Amino acid sequence: MESIGLIRDFLKDRLAVEPESVVPDAVLAELGVDSLMMLELMFEFEDRFGIKLSSDLQTPRTVGEMVSLMDGLIAKSKS
Amino acid sequence: MSQRRVAITGLGLVSPYGGDLPDFFSRLCAGQSAATYLQTDDVPRPLSMPFVGCPGFDPEAVLGKPLASMMDRFAQIGMSAAFSAWDNAGLPRKADDTASRDDWGVAWGTALGGTMAYEKGYRELWQKGRERLSPLTVLLGMNSSANAQISIQLGLGGVSMSHTVACASSAIAIGEAFRRVRSGEAAIMLTGGSDVPQAYGVARAWEALRVMAPGNAETSATACRPFSADRRGLVLGEGGAALVLEDWDHAVARGARIHGEIVGYGTTCDHTHLVRPEAAGQTRAIRLALADGGLQASDIDYVNAHGTATAEGDPIEVAALREVFGERAAALPVSGTKSMHGHMLGAAAAIEAIITVLALRDGVIPPTAHLAELDPACAGVDHVTSARQGQPLRAALSNSFAFGGSNAVLAFRAAHL
Repeated sequence: MESIGLIRDFLKDRLAVEPESVVPDAVLAELGVDSLMMLELMFEFEDRFGIKLSSDLQTPRTVGEMVSLMDGLIAKSKS
Repeated sequence: MSQRRVAITGLGLVSPYGGDLPDFFSRLCAGQSAATYLQTDDVPRPLSMPFVGCPGFDPEAVLGKPLASMMDRFAQIGMSAAFSAWDNAGLPRKADDTASRDDWGVAWGTALGGTMAYEKGYRELWQKGRERLSPLTVLLGMNSSANAQISIQLGLGGVSMSHTVACASSAIAIGEAFRRVRSGEAAIMLTGGSDVPQAYGVARAWEALRVMAPGNAETSATACRPFSADRRGLVLGEGGAALVLEDWDHAVARGARIHGEIVGYGTTCDHTHLVRPEAAGQTRAIRLALADGGLQASDIDYVNAHGTATAEGDPIEVAALREVFGERAAALPVSGTKSMHGHMLGAAAAIEAIITVLALRDGVIPPTAHLAELDPACAGVDHVTSARQGQPLRAALSNSFAFGGSNAVLAFRAAHL
């Protein structure tokens, strides 16, 4: 769950979304995350964890999917 | 298609004095300079120069954080000015069912665009060794980001365009917007301009041109002295200003307050040199604006000069005015307000258009500040050195003459006539 902090910080900073609303079932689009913001979030992730994302990643729909994706990549990078 | 009259129903700006529009105009009329001594912490060599900034402007407070973070500072200032003008026109920010906005548009001037965003990117790449940039860099940096955001935020479905013509950018934007309303293509156009020239590389580039007035903490306020024998050049400034141009009948029908009327627009190119101005090209632009507005030279009671306080520019502008106004030139009131609000590049013409409209509306001519001793080469017009009032003003011109030889002149008429 390393990535949830980053997602919460980002949504709080950019959209004033309170951290308690950023739960696994929350749909990113409903929180205000559009395609452009998704790119920014990916960029923040790359920056924070030093991981490069491939350009053909499937876009996550929910916070939970985003966390799974990011945490999976973090674990892979450490293995 | 018959030509429509074009009312000015909204005025808005981000004031370098920090207050509202009436405060801005009253300070100008009092001859108060907004220029201060800018000192940055840029590396390797901090900037230090006379500058007109908007230190009180807080984009997140005005626009909200999500919107502010999607804009370069030039667009933030522009959006804020646009909102002010829109509110001033009594128009709701959210579109409703009472009027379609499909033909309402934006014409915006910027000489520089989002240079702060690009410069931040360069620093990341070259100073910090980063490989990639924020995905927002292009969207913040593009010249059309201000007009695009304005259209999006106000739901304007007509043309949305930016004009980049150096120091005449927003004069061209206002002129092109005016033509669209006059022709009936648009019932309302939001127009103006914004620029932020204090990006490190941009400011250094301007220094290299040797047209910037020197100054320090004590002298920066009086560093820009148009038409003065001891003038040393221009003072850069950041800023944004916006006007709502509206079909006259449309404005009357909704009971809008009409600040003034825009009646003419003339634009030419010297076609001779990138930086050396020519009186002939400026003369043609002034005459075109007069003819376009159905005005005689004798109708003009005030000219807001381009007046940048450069050695070459000021005498050429006065020569052009003498040529157009002939014997009457000596009694033609002229002032260069850049002496107080600085040169805001792509916002310059918009803020000067607002000043010209307010002068007509309120019957007060703001002065050229710091003009103690007139350069004999700039003689031949009536230089206004302290605010003048008492006579109703009928019509006025606002001059903008740009690097590249582009000239643009706007003609306005008082609404009370």
